[in-house]
Amino acid sequence: METYLWITSVWGVYLALAVFIIGMGWRIYEWATTPKSAVRLGMFPKPATKTGRFFKMLKDTFIAPHSAKIEPAMWVFAFAFHVAALGAFVGHGRLIAEFPILPELLGHDGMNAFAAMSGSIAGVLMLVGVLFWIGRRTFGPYKSLSVPEDYLLLFLLFGVIVMGDHMRFVYGDIIHADTYRAWFQSLLTFKPMFPEKLLSGNVGWSLGTHMLFTDLFLIYFPFSKLVHTIGSFSSNRVRSE
Amino acid sequence: METVEMQTLAGVIDKKMNRQLKQYIDICARCAICKDACHQYVGTGDFKYLPARRAELIRQVYKKYFDKTGRFVPALYEARDPDDNLLDELYDSTYACTGCRRCMYYCPFSIDTAWILSVAKAVLIAAGRGNEMLGQLADAAIFKGDNVAMFEGVITSGFEEIAEEVRAITGNPDHGVPVNKQGADVLYVALAGAHSIRPAAVIFEEAGESWTISMFEAANYGYFYGDPEKARLITKRYIDEAVRLGVKEIVVPECGHAYRVAEFFYEAWSKEPMPFKVSHILEKVDDYIKTGRIKVDKGLIEGTVTYHDPCQLGRNGGKFEQPRDIVKAVTSNFVDLTPNRAEQWCCGGGGGIVAMEEFKDVRLKSGSKKVEQLKASGANILACPCENCRLQIEELNEIHELGMEIWQVIDLVVASMPLPGNKKSAGA
Repeated sequence: METYLWITSVWGVYLALAVFIIGMGWRIYEWATTPKSAVRLGMFPKPATKTGRFFKMLKDTFIAPHSAKIEPAMWVFAFAFHVAALGAFVGHGRLIAEFPILPELLGHDGMNAFAAMSGSIAGVLMLVGVLFWIGRRTFGPYKSLSVPEDYLLLFLLFGVIVMGDHMRFVYGDIIHADTYRAWFQSLLTFKPMFPEKLLSGNVGWSLGTHMLFTDLFLIYFPFSKLVHTIGSFSSNRVRSE
Repeated sequence: METVEMQTLAGVIDKKMNRQLKQYIDICARCAICKDACHQYVGTGDFKYLPARRAELIRQVYKKYFDKTGRFVPALYEARDPDDNLLDELYDSTYACTGCRRCMYYCPFSIDTAWILSVAKAVLIAAGRGNEMLGQLADAAIFKGDNVAMFEGVITSGFEEIAEEVRAITGNPDHGVPVNKQGADVLYVALAGAHSIRPAAVIFEEAGESWTISMFEAANYGYFYGDPEKARLITKRYIDEAVRLGVKEIVVPECGHAYRVAEFFYEAWSKEPMPFKVSHILEKVDDYIKTGRIKVDKGLIEGTVTYHDPCQLGRNGGKFEQPRDIVKAVTSNFVDLTPNRAEQWCCGGGGGIVAMEEFKDVRLKSGSKKVEQLKASGANILACPCENCRLQIEELNEIHELGMEIWQVIDLVVASMPLPGNKKSAGA
């Protein structure tokens, strides 16, 4: 198991982060160095001021109100997924350092309980979102429109989430953030190590598999349609030009 | 098809590439939210008309030739060559698209499928598969621009006949249709046909506007065909006339794409700033009514009136309120369609599709949402400021026995003006 962990949760992480950062930088560079269209591609209605257009871009990107109107079910699942993913991303910040203020207010155990509850909700919401998307892509025009990239991404996301949920629901009461933090901080300081707790039980397999899917997901991210995470700001701004 | 030929066609995509297009290709999640926004997909249920699918064909070629990951693992993206199969589907999905951009309105990333399809048209033209009818109409317009003397006599005598009709309506012997009047403030660029000129002339003359008309019409089949150079040359005909006549303003008629071409495209095509203000005729008419330059009487139009936002004038041109204000000024019985303004359904007749007989079936099926809207409105008169929309809706009106009258907005205005020789000027 230790070898598996070293591959997926040490060297895999370094590789994935390097590819992700360089890949995203390359993608942004490509966009930035391609000339803009000379034709104004905006549509109406659009705010008259620059500030108004900026806030409309944020609203269109984060809320997507028009999409909500035309396909509410898709919007609900997608919105829940993205909010949960954001919550999970913020929650994983505890791997770097414990949150300020909250642990003082809730206490050590209270903080772990809060993290368990919020992490569980986020994990379930993300899983439901991905299952909805997988289901949606198995019939009708959605299936016809889908290409292998769509299924690959859903498979990787499914793996990341299921293994994350596995760690949360199976080992959540035994192993808390401080254990994972010791491992993650060792990566940040380039002195990788695994706390004994991760090596002594099966949780190591869970973490290793969670990280395997995460590594693959991050490696593929800059070369996939997931670059909409940054590109949608720009494309939604063009809407109001 | 030869490999070299396919490489050349793929090269067209690279040549047309710009930042927006690249981002649209890179970020589309194929979520297909756009499917319920497209009147053609909703009306036909045919997969090839699903907006994301239309764009996907260009994406597949782009991935195969120009995207590093697409070249590395083509199967992952179903990357493919622009072979005959692809071009066959691309032709149908591209030239059938009316360019309404309703899919863009609902897309969470605001992906402009019509813009992607402008590249598709360039690919098709390069492959010798551009729509023949649109190409011929564009070439004819350019020929007319180069040989205007050949047409001048016929056109001028047509203007004289219209001037007679204008005098009969207004009862003012001084009224007419000024042609190539040097130093006029406004050049009205009409559509070919008296129906586009007569009511506008009545309104301009009654408003005391300093205006003129020239030999060139606003319709632009180069734009529909998908050749920016042809489209530029067609537009340039009346831009040059406006410069020669020294006008301050160009006014385009009740035509959706003519307004968009003049206001939004020409500067980019010509790489020069537009030297005049561009207005839509309904902006002028709204102003004339609000400032009292023309008088309208609400009691002259009988029945309930509704209004259709042409996509190029509304969602893509930003003219939502002035046309409504005009209609509300001439009738007390106005009902809006649902949905309306930016969410208005495309009627199915834009993008030059009414000129392409081969798409008649899909065009009529794609009008199903418009028919539902019109029926639900309970109106018996439709005001519609776009020629292509009117042609389509008139056909839908007949097929579905809606019993509606389809009018130009300026015809409604003239019919509601207390003029001695007034009579309903049929817009239908």
